[in-house]
Amino acid sequence: MTQYIIQRLLSACVTLWFVSFIAFALVNSIPVDPAEVALRLNDTAPSPEAIEEIREEFGLNDPFLVRYGNWLLASLQGDFGVSFTNTHRSVADELLRSFPYTLQLASLSLLLLLAISIPVGVLSAVYKDHWLDKSVRVFIFASTAMPNFWLAFILLWFFSIKLYWLPSSGATTWSHFILPSITLSMAFIATYIRLIRNSMLDSMKDHYVAYARARGIPEYRIIWKHLLKNSLQSSLTALGISLVRLVAGTVVIESIFAIPGLGRLALGAIFNRDYPIIQAYVLVMGSLFVLSNLFIDILHRVVDPRLKLTGKPV
Amino acid sequence: MWSKKLITAAAIASTAVLPVQGAFAKDNTLVFANYRDIRDVNPHLYGGEIFAQNLLYEGLIHLGDKGQFEPWLATSWSTSEDGKTYTFKLRDDVTFSDGTPFTAQVVKANFDALLDNVNRHSWLESIRLMAEVEKSGKDAIRVIDDHTVEIEFADSYYPFLVELGVTRPFRFLSPKCFKEGTTKNGTQCMVGTGSYVLTNNVVDQAATFERNKQYWGEKPQIDKIVAKVIPDNQSRLLALRSGEIDMVYGLQLINAQAFKQFEKDPRFGTQLSEPVSTRMLIVNSTRENLNDTRVRQALSHLTNKAIIAERIMLGLEKPADTLLSKNVPYANIDLKPYQYDIAQAEKLLDQAGWKKKGTVRERDGKPLEITLSYDSDKIVERTIAQYLQSEWTKVGIVMKLVGEEAQANRDRLKQGNFDLSFNISWGTPYDPQSFLGSMRKPVYGDYIAQQGIPEKAQIDENIQKALSSTNEADRQKHYSYVLKTLHDQAIYIPITYEQNRAIFNQKVNQVGFNPSQFEIPLQKMSIK
Repeated sequence: MTQYIIQRLLSACVTLWFVSFIAFALVNSIPVDPAEVALRLNDTAPSPEAIEEIREEFGLNDPFLVRYGNWLLASLQGDFGVSFTNTHRSVADELLRSFPYTLQLASLSLLLLLAISIPVGVLSAVYKDHWLDKSVRVFIFASTAMPNFWLAFILLWFFSIKLYWLPSSGATTWSHFILPSITLSMAFIATYIRLIRNSMLDSMKDHYVAYARARGIPEYRIIWKHLLKNSLQSSLTALGISLVRLVAGTVVIESIFAIPGLGRLALGAIFNRDYPIIQAYVLVMGSLFVLSNLFIDILHRVVDPRLKLTGKPV
Repeated sequence: MWSKKLITAAAIASTAVLPVQGAFAKDNTLVFANYRDIRDVNPHLYGGEIFAQNLLYEGLIHLGDKGQFEPWLATSWSTSEDGKTYTFKLRDDVTFSDGTPFTAQVVKANFDALLDNVNRHSWLESIRLMAEVEKSGKDAIRVIDDHTVEIEFADSYYPFLVELGVTRPFRFLSPKCFKEGTTKNGTQCMVGTGSYVLTNNVVDQAATFERNKQYWGEKPQIDKIVAKVIPDNQSRLLALRSGEIDMVYGLQLINAQAFKQFEKDPRFGTQLSEPVSTRMLIVNSTRENLNDTRVRQALSHLTNKAIIAERIMLGLEKPADTLLSKNVPYANIDLKPYQYDIAQAEKLLDQAGWKKKGTVRERDGKPLEITLSYDSDKIVERTIAQYLQSEWTKVGIVMKLVGEEAQANRDRLKQGNFDLSFNISWGTPYDPQSFLGSMRKPVYGDYIAQQGIPEKAQIDENIQKALSSTNEADRQKHYSYVLKTLHDQAIYIPITYEQNRAIFNQKVNQVGFNPSQFEIPLQKMSIK
């Protein structure tokens, strides 16, 4: 197991090195001068002298590989540089400042996701073709098709404007996170209901279910203990990716609900050509993907002992 | 069992919701929304929100409603005969909110900090002219006594007083906030002499300003101002409807449709300012097809501004007859507008040798082809471009549209690689001096666009003379020449005058506009 983890960690490093290079190269191939954007952002007409001075300050006049090398070395030590548009803020501080908001939003969404998709998925498999199952299928269809910004505005209009129940924007209390996390989790919930429902239906045909019934085990135990456990395997793999997508997918939602999280930081950075922030964001997201995949793979081996025998990762 | 649990859960959920409604009961607090954080409000740099800098810091001279100069931290001022030296008498009863007295030494320290970062301020002629004096080894800013300062320029430059009145960079920061004697590398605090102090800023969420208790002047009426950050346009308006914010302010934050919607709603007030800037097309006179004055005049006659203002801008911008609106200083001169007149346009095109063959006009076998480039993120520009294309095609002009990324569009303008392009004037209070001043510099599209007309050298000379003239009548004469020549040569097709906008609920009173479109006159507002 330890050897397996070390092996995976090493390959993760190689992947991350690739990610870092691609992030850096892509951002730097944007045909726009970030020095000029940084000046323009402040409502002044930049003079050539001012642009040149900023270029020098940001180190934009160095050759590409030199810049990449400097950036990579500093990043490895946790120093992602300073933001181009707010030169008195370091990128690391900006990430640390925004991350808790996104984490709060993503974890609340994850809770909703688990709390809704597992019971609903199981019930719609058990009551296949019942009106319950049919209405769930309509829900899945609708919420997969609905863009999340649209859902966000419908929720805002109804709960903030018509009912005055929930605040429409900001991130100061937990109530501020209710509407955003419903919006964020909705598309995921639909996916997982489907996944769980289908794999439950598949597993129901397995022999062990028939044997369990023959042994007189109560139906609810068969469903919740045996069937569910075996059906969650495919969902677990998907969850590894979804975990990160919950964090990375907050860009639009954070803008609409005015939550100062990572997504909004990244969006602002893209608009303002704030290279250091974009690069750090891509790198952090890349690392999260790699690490969560690794984590889920290990979890698989724990959950399913058969994998240990073959010694090969799924 | 389940229903009981559900009821409990619902009860818990509703208590979580309750505090939100409590938040609506605000007394004498104004909450408004901005699209971004106030960032670094160092008054000597440009990285902060202007409304915030304007609440915290004050300058020597105040720009009145009509752009007139009023005493502020200076009680009086005088100019030397040659217009190169200004002397300011300062108030003696002003302290910064940290208790530091405001004196001539403080003024000098602040100006010196600006000169220490001269490249960043080189877009301002006055800083350049002060730096030139310093280069000769002399002090440009001289302390005469504790409350008198003298400032010297290398050349006379009348708009200095206007530049003193705008929010940045000529505002005063407490010397205790300086870092290593200057401000270009950041500041240790954000202390000014203004009527408000910054009490809290949660980055990307909200900034809170409270009344400065030791303020020397007239006390503002609102105790507390909260600037919430809501980046999304729609969310901002929803927050206004739900009562979470009281006001949305500014040209960039309110689109025409939204303004129209709120205009009809009796629960909200709306306001439009006087024209603040001009939306126009620049016509590049160096291009072969546009080199003839008659062709450019024809294009002006072919542009139906009334329709654009009414249908595309929904009446929120006024049709523009001249490059600068008549309320702009020195721009109230008699110029004959180019009326929308297709027959006249066709006549001019015929005279210029562009004869109609079939549906297209040709000269020497070549079609009259014109390209209009625009910033594809700006829906309004695209709509105007498409409208003009449909109109101009009717008289036989082959019009091509190029929509591109904002920076690419600016680069094109800078390099002069365009036929026609959109442009917006610098806006009050930078018009006319900074806008016309920039026409002399090759980094602006105007410079190249004007190169094809014989009077370009005289235009530049007259702009220079207008800026350095010490006499009102002379200055008017030079400005008149520039504006008239550009008008007659039809280098610009003025389209509409932009107006600043505000939407607010019934709590907010005395919402108005400052001469600078970037400021918000929060000090003058009140809460019912």
